[in-house]
Amino acid sequence: MALLAALITITPVYILITLASDSSTLFDSHNLKILGNTLSLMGLTVLGSILIGVPLAFISAYVHLPFKKIWLVIFAAPLAIPSYIGAFTLYAAFGPGGEINNLLGFETPPMYGLSGAAIVMTLYTFPFVMMTTRSSLLSLDASMVNAARTLGMSMTQSVFKVILPRVVNGIAAGSLLVALYTLSDFGTPAMMRLDTFTRVIYVEYNAFALGRAAMLSLQLMVIVGFLLLIESQIKTASERHGRPLVLFPTKWQITAMIAAFGPILLLAIGLPLAIFFVWLARDGYSNFDFSIAWNSAYASAIAAIVAVIVAIPVAHAALTGKAGRIMERVTYFGFGIPGIVMGTALVYGGLQLPFLYQTLALLIIAYMLRFLPLAVGSIRTSTEHLDQSLIKSARVLGASPREAFTRITLPLTMRGIIAGAALVFLESMRELEATLLLGPTGFETLSTYLWRVYEAGYFGRAAIPGLLLVVISACGLAIMMSGEKRNQLEH
Amino acid sequence: MKRRTFIQGLAALGVVGALPLPLSRALAADIANPVSVDNLPKLKGDLTLYLGRGEGGLYENVLQAIQKKNPDFNLAIRRGPTAALANTIVAEAKAGVRRADLFWAVDSGAIGLVTDAGLAKPLPSDLSAQLQPQFRYDQWAPVTGRIRTLPYNTSRLTKDQIPTSIMEIADSDLSIGWAPAYASFQSFVTAMRILEGDDKTAKWLKKVKKRAKTYAGELGVVMAVERGEVDIGFANHYYTLRLKSGKPDAKLDLAFTEQDAGCLVNASGILTLNDDPLATNFMRYLLSEEVQGYLAREAYEIPLVNGITQPAGLPSLSDISPPKVDLTQLADLRPTINLMRNNGVL
Repeated sequence: MALLAALITITPVYILITLASDSSTLFDSHNLKILGNTLSLMGLTVLGSILIGVPLAFISAYVHLPFKKIWLVIFAAPLAIPSYIGAFTLYAAFGPGGEINNLLGFETPPMYGLSGAAIVMTLYTFPFVMMTTRSSLLSLDASMVNAARTLGMSMTQSVFKVILPRVVNGIAAGSLLVALYTLSDFGTPAMMRLDTFTRVIYVEYNAFALGRAAMLSLQLMVIVGFLLLIESQIKTASERHGRPLVLFPTKWQITAMIAAFGPILLLAIGLPLAIFFVWLARDGYSNFDFSIAWNSAYASAIAAIVAVIVAIPVAHAALTGKAGRIMERVTYFGFGIPGIVMGTALVYGGLQLPFLYQTLALLIIAYMLRFLPLAVGSIRTSTEHLDQSLIKSARVLGASPREAFTRITLPLTMRGIIAGAALVFLESMRELEATLLLGPTGFETLSTYLWRVYEAGYFGRAAIPGLLLVVISACGLAIMMSGEKRNQLEH
Repeated sequence: MKRRTFIQGLAALGVVGALPLPLSRALAADIANPVSVDNLPKLKGDLTLYLGRGEGGLYENVLQAIQKKNPDFNLAIRRGPTAALANTIVAEAKAGVRRADLFWAVDSGAIGLVTDAGLAKPLPSDLSAQLQPQFRYDQWAPVTGRIRTLPYNTSRLTKDQIPTSIMEIADSDLSIGWAPAYASFQSFVTAMRILEGDDKTAKWLKKVKKRAKTYAGELGVVMAVERGEVDIGFANHYYTLRLKSGKPDAKLDLAFTEQDAGCLVNASGILTLNDDPLATNFMRYLLSEEVQGYLAREAYEIPLVNGITQPAGLPSLSDISPPKVDLTQLADLRPTINLMRNNGVL
């Protein structure tokens, strides 16, 4: 089953290989500079995502807060906003002549170039790190920290010496997703006028040189391969499952947390929506068809369920041996391919099954292909360090492998499964190119509608779909997170 | 383009001086008059249209109006980036599947890709007869035109300070804003390659690059010119007109070159992949008086049929003579991209 899943996800790469022409020169000095830009952007974004994502994961996992569910949803919400929309609104807001300047009077530094692109990409990808780290944190036993504290370690020290080393694989899994997403993103570097590899790919694509665009995308896969290699070197020791830590913050600490992270979330979600509403007020309201929102919601929900069902055996295989690990890694390649190239590869693939072509079923399969790594990464990292002795004792007591899986492993990994489903849901909500090319003709999602009004210059009309995108994603997240309750051993 | 321009072109060949007036009127009579929608056959049935980026959503209004006028007509629309849709049509044809009946693209390069693959069906001659002669093609119909212009900042320059030859612009000391990744710009460079040759184009690119600032798109170029970041820009005409309609006191105006690639008239186009006369009848609606007039007034695009008023703000085209270029040749972008890349522009 895992092998089948791995083979299916590698199909688009195979299609690209058949499409690729072999006459492109990668390594001339111009392209080396572009490569440097791409790698710098990737590095900065991963760094930023870790700096923001890990503390937030910590807060949402261990710190006792009122309305905990809501906080988690807010922390993850930036993932609902397409990064090109975020880039565009931030570009329009900042800088001399920007909206903030117009409305509030004071000048702000412009969002531009490597720094601007890194800031924007970080804001819209840190939830990857946050979600995977959080599910890792929640499967750690608190007794180690408690033991360290009783032996005299301060809280801060125990965070760095006892907790963080045990979630390094969760952080690494999230960072891998951030790196791949940054590698494949086109909208943000284009808006910030940063010359990256994806820009070269898009120029070729728009010049009708599909073969070259495919070839260059495949060359991008080399970088993906390196990243996968690095990430696979990061391991943690296995340990027993137990009760997670609970921390009760003081009022002062709560204020400090809000002061530190509030602005980030405001910038990521609040600012784009505020800008759109300003433009809406300027341009005036026009009718919006709310059935589009329903399309987005159910397509993404089905994709999330399908992806998780396929991801479970893949993640499981990754834990049972080398071949499984390779199969699991193979599923990541699709995530690093730029959207429009992936969309076209999927068109070629979908045409091989004409009865499925341009149906919702094919679109769901496409989402699954693209976003399987999100689910697999979450599930794998939450099960990696599980002590095998629980399963072994179940087998000794007479359970079949399947029974041991459904009664022991599955409940223990439910958190990872839900986090994975949540990530796939959010990413499917904001997915654009595959939806445009593979969805049934006339099937409009919030994301495609946003693209339409953006391309047409009717920016005011982006306010309502933008808001709906965030709200529906938040609701979907809230529903999924409530599924966690059933599996928690305490509070 | 008005018929006066066509005749001015002949003047360049020294012919008009000898032509008596009645002959010029006879030449004009070769272009059929535009048809009103009331005289067009009613549309009945289903069609699928692949639409590449509608201009300002106004194409949507046109499509809605056509559907309203023909209640028995169902139009399914797939929207997407133009190149992606063109690739999809080619992929579908390769697999023997046809879903698209019509393809409306905002630049002729995408049209060229599909016609080069032999997928477009020939058009009836009475449809093409409505268009100006230089816009008549067998396999596709241009819908509206866009002309390459030089928007300039009125507080920094006057019009006479701008050279009227595109090649001279490279030698002047004006600062320039451009968007090399933009499809229309690449079509313009392709036209320059066709008219002036690769060597001269390469030299031109090198010289301009030294004084040019790059923007993501031509709307960005026009906005930058208006803000005073650069003296002039290279952009399609409608960006300036639309910006000015939203901001009448903008310090922006249009300048044109003469008889070279700098004033190339490109066109959005529509083709059909289906033999069904329903498809060609649909295309007639796009060339009707009402639609062409609407697009000229609201989208500031250049109508390509006879007798429709030019968009407001565009000076009379009798002063400009656009070059004669076969628009489908502009689909040949590979050499252009290579040229731009080798000279560090892309």
